[in-house]
Amino acid sequence: MSSPIRRVLSSTVGTKLLIGLTGLALFVYLIIHLAGNALIFAGQDAFNVYAHALISNPLIIPLEIGLLLLFLVHIYKAITNYVKNLAARPEAYDKKAYAGHTSRKSVASSTMIVTGIIVAVFLIIHVKQFKFGSYYQTVADAGVRDLYRTEIEVFSNPFWVAFYVMATLLVGLHLRHGIASGFQSIGFDHPMYTRRLTMWSLVLAVIISGGLAAIPVWVYFTH
Amino acid sequence: MTLDSNVPGGPLAEKWDRHRFESKLVNPANRRRYTIIVVGTGLAGASAASSLGELGYNVLSFCIQDSPRRAHSIAAQGGINAAKNYQNDGDSIHRLFYDTVKGGDYRSREANVYRLAQLSVNIIDQCVAQGVPFAREYGGMLDNRSFGGAQVSRTFYARGQTGQQLLLGAYQSLMRQVEKGTVRSLPNREMLDLVLVNGQARGVIIRNLITGELERYAADAVLLCTGGYGTAYYLSTNAVGSNVTASWRAHKRGAYFANPCFTQIHPTCIPVSGSAQSKLTLMSESLRNDGRVWVPKNPGERRPPQQIPEEDRDYYLERRYPSFGNLVPRDVASRNAKAVCDEGRGVGESGLAVYLDFADAIKRLGLEVIRGRYGNLFDMYTKITDEDPYRLPMRIYPAIHYTMGGLWVDYNLMSTIPGLHVLGEANFSDHGANRLGASALMQGLADGYFVIPYTLAHYLAGSTLPAVSVDHEAFREAEAGVQGQIDRLLAVKGSRTPRQLHRELGQVLWDNVGMARSEASLRTALARIPQLREEFWQNVSVPGPKNNLNKNLEYAGRVADYLEFAEVLTLDALHRTESCGGHFRDESQTPDGEAQRDDENFSYVAAWEFQGVGKAPALHKEPLTFEYVKPTQRSYK
Amino acid sequence: MRIFLKVWRQASPDAQGRFVDYTAEDVSPDMSFLEMLDVVNERLIMQGEDPIAFDSDCREGICGTCGFMVSGIAHGPDPGTTVCQLHMRRFKDGMRLTLEPWRARAFQVLKDLVVDRSAFDRIIQAGGYTSVNVGGAPDGNAVLVGKTASDKAMDSAACIGCGACVAACKNASAALFTSAKISQMALLPQGQVERFQRVVKMVDRHDEEGFGSCSNEGECEAVCPKEIPITNIARMNREYFRALLFSRD
Repeated sequence: MSSPIRRVLSSTVGTKLLIGLTGLALFVYLIIHLAGNALIFAGQDAFNVYAHALISNPLIIPLEIGLLLLFLVHIYKAITNYVKNLAARPEAYDKKAYAGHTSRKSVASSTMIVTGIIVAVFLIIHVKQFKFGSYYQTVADAGVRDLYRTEIEVFSNPFWVAFYVMATLLVGLHLRHGIASGFQSIGFDHPMYTRRLTMWSLVLAVIISGGLAAIPVWVYFTH
Repeated sequence: MTLDSNVPGGPLAEKWDRHRFESKLVNPANRRRYTIIVVGTGLAGASAASSLGELGYNVLSFCIQDSPRRAHSIAAQGGINAAKNYQNDGDSIHRLFYDTVKGGDYRSREANVYRLAQLSVNIIDQCVAQGVPFAREYGGMLDNRSFGGAQVSRTFYARGQTGQQLLLGAYQSLMRQVEKGTVRSLPNREMLDLVLVNGQARGVIIRNLITGELERYAADAVLLCTGGYGTAYYLSTNAVGSNVTASWRAHKRGAYFANPCFTQIHPTCIPVSGSAQSKLTLMSESLRNDGRVWVPKNPGERRPPQQIPEEDRDYYLERRYPSFGNLVPRDVASRNAKAVCDEGRGVGESGLAVYLDFADAIKRLGLEVIRGRYGNLFDMYTKITDEDPYRLPMRIYPAIHYTMGGLWVDYNLMSTIPGLHVLGEANFSDHGANRLGASALMQGLADGYFVIPYTLAHYLAGSTLPAVSVDHEAFREAEAGVQGQIDRLLAVKGSRTPRQLHRELGQVLWDNVGMARSEASLRTALARIPQLREEFWQNVSVPGPKNNLNKNLEYAGRVADYLEFAEVLTLDALHRTESCGGHFRDESQTPDGEAQRDDENFSYVAAWEFQGVGKAPALHKEPLTFEYVKPTQRSYK
Repeated sequence: MRIFLKVWRQASPDAQGRFVDYTAEDVSPDMSFLEMLDVVNERLIMQGEDPIAFDSDCREGICGTCGFMVSGIAHGPDPGTTVCQLHMRRFKDGMRLTLEPWRARAFQVLKDLVVDRSAFDRIIQAGGYTSVNVGGAPDGNAVLVGKTASDKAMDSAACIGCGACVAACKNASAALFTSAKISQMALLPQGQVERFQRVVKMVDRHDEEGFGSCSNEGECEAVCPKEIPITNIARMNREYFRALLFSRD
């Protein structure tokens, strides 16, 4: 037998296992990210204290590298998987219909590759605008970055507000299939909870994408 | 030629042990030098091929389906019998043996049946080890039910899909051998002739159903596991692909056909509903455990069933057979259904159906219990008929289901052609004139897993088998014959489809050689069959390519064989003027209308030897003696 | 009733296929879908034309031989139903239906609606069994199997291998088929001995045959004639994960 690691990288199940594991890890990261950023509703000070605590932590660099790796593995495996799956049916059906009944097929599940790629592009812009965006210092402490101000600056532009709302809604769409799918891929199976996963997936997707979208909108209308 | 059954001597219970000891063996190192052809991958074929592969023989496994897993054994619903006595209710090997001989109306070979009962216990063990998900009790033990009128609970089952699960178990074992390289699986191939060299079965001519090419395969022995011939009747519970071709062509090469008139008609099938109907669907016999069979008392009753009051209903099985009631054996239940329909009391549009009513059971046990027991069967019924059996009684009617007759074999399962062994439903040996419920699966697996590995070794070790290649003259001649027939079929270019002619033949057989047969009806059939055969060869239409997948061509070849085989079936029924089991002659009945055997004149196996198409076959008899079960008039009163 | 059919005709695996229109006349609502096709074929044969090739055998929904796409849905619109058990009362007079074969790289079209599903056999060959020879099996009751485990194993074992799951899956994945057998064995004590090797070998073979991966949409479950749920796939994934972590073979 070839080495287990190679198998993880190559088999259909191993591939989905990796996509699922990285996807779920990113989902957990997203919850933390949302919770942190929700501090913006608590005002400038609270938000900046949190942001400072985060970026001044020496662990942030390895964590960010880890996060980047998660993204890269997730994206790489998803794209190669998509290409392989296209090859599994070289000749398309003339007519193909939704099977109905218990099928979980949805707009979300059918567009994972599209929403995924758009979200990836969005992320590059997002990181550029914030992590590597305009740098301000807080009035109280010159060593502390006033990220709050950067945020207000970006979201005072209605174009960026609309862009972020659109993007976070696509994140939601991706999550709507992704959460339940991730659990399924890593082999989570329970007679009761599995059925509810799809529902929870939807609920969490709405909360997360709603929460993320609320930030630019709130900023735009209150500043 | 005298028919020697080769039954070993000694007391019944020791025959098989003694025979195994006395049989010759093949050295493990030599086994791979023997090539064995196994035709068919049902329970008998798959179990035989995998067992022989395990032993180290070089096995070629053929089937007409696109995968060995699809053989028609898969459709068996009810269960498999075994004398395990797990239920502590008085079962034993001897009782299973006794029930089977009696149920077969004393037309089976005692020694074979006893061996079958002995081996039944090993089958369950083997299948459990394979991971067959038999039904279990809460404590984890195997569950049993009483089936087909047996008075002990000895039937093991996997929901209503026992045949499927047993077949998949055998199929998986077969696939394991394919992976190991001992068995070569050759699906999509139909055997069209048997090749004999020096009088021994040494190969087959096969048509590759995908490419249309004829292929030759040589071997040291050939095993036919190709099932029964029920589809000769056109409408039956068999798969539409089931056929008599392999058996018939072996018969034409010299294998005797035994007791072809012993056909089993299953009482609980969904009635025919239109001329386009292609098959009949069986509703498991277990339904009779809770359902009550009835028809209206008065002929010409037009009221819907729920409006017919109790006093106008005739629960005829309960009335005529107070002790067995609705659970009488299949032949008895079928014949009675026909009788009441003949009296004009049948129900449904065609008048060819009786009610199977669950209203009382639902009242007694509740809807949920009934749903739990028969839910999937009720759903199937609803799907097919668009009626709800929870509210309305089911309509059922008998249909051809199983054929007890088949190629004659001795105790070693070898036919009259040396080297040609016949297993499962394709042989005639174990069920006499009537098969009991849940016994077919048992026989198929007993033959394949536990009998043939010993008896085949005995044959191989005791025979001179010079090397034979597929270039041998006998192969050339056989292939030319097969090619000739295919060319003839394609050349007719008539205007009638094989299906139309098959349907006509089926009607002739059902009307005249069906549940009740008389000299007059049988003579009618004998006059009609040659005409149909003539019509077929004058006017059949087989369009499409020869060298490609052509299902109509395959089918036409099979219909051609039914048209020859039907004559032997009818002749056998005509010559056997007694009634026994599934064979009911109007001329031979007790005063109250039950089957009347004639042991003095007919206690034998009728084995027919082919003499030419349209020529009367020669009859050979194997006398049946009963040392351990004394023949009595079967009574289920 | 009258039904208008648009049927995929392809003479051989290498030939170019195309759609041909047929009209099924005098269709009775009690006919099964395949009996309706029988009638169409009877007419073609009488006209000396090559009839539409389609696979079928038991015609009671258990052998798994039949199957094609009926207007884009594997085995047609009824849940838990093979196309041989689909009845014409399900359709309305004058309806137009498109019949196409299963399409997947691993399922080559042999002719018209007939495809080669031997890849399924090879997946089973890779490990869909317990390696026990005939002869040495212990008594059937020697190993107790809990009723729940046994029932669940039976749910998975009910697979008929028809290929509808592959046909319905947007990735032409055979995950449902493969996982059903892996689940049956993983749930039973008899299957424990070879548990790790089985899942790895069967998944590898599944991939070699050219099937795609599972996207967890459940279209397969929705068309499965035996309504085998995709929890089986989750179980297969878990078994696979476990084999990677704990297998020492």
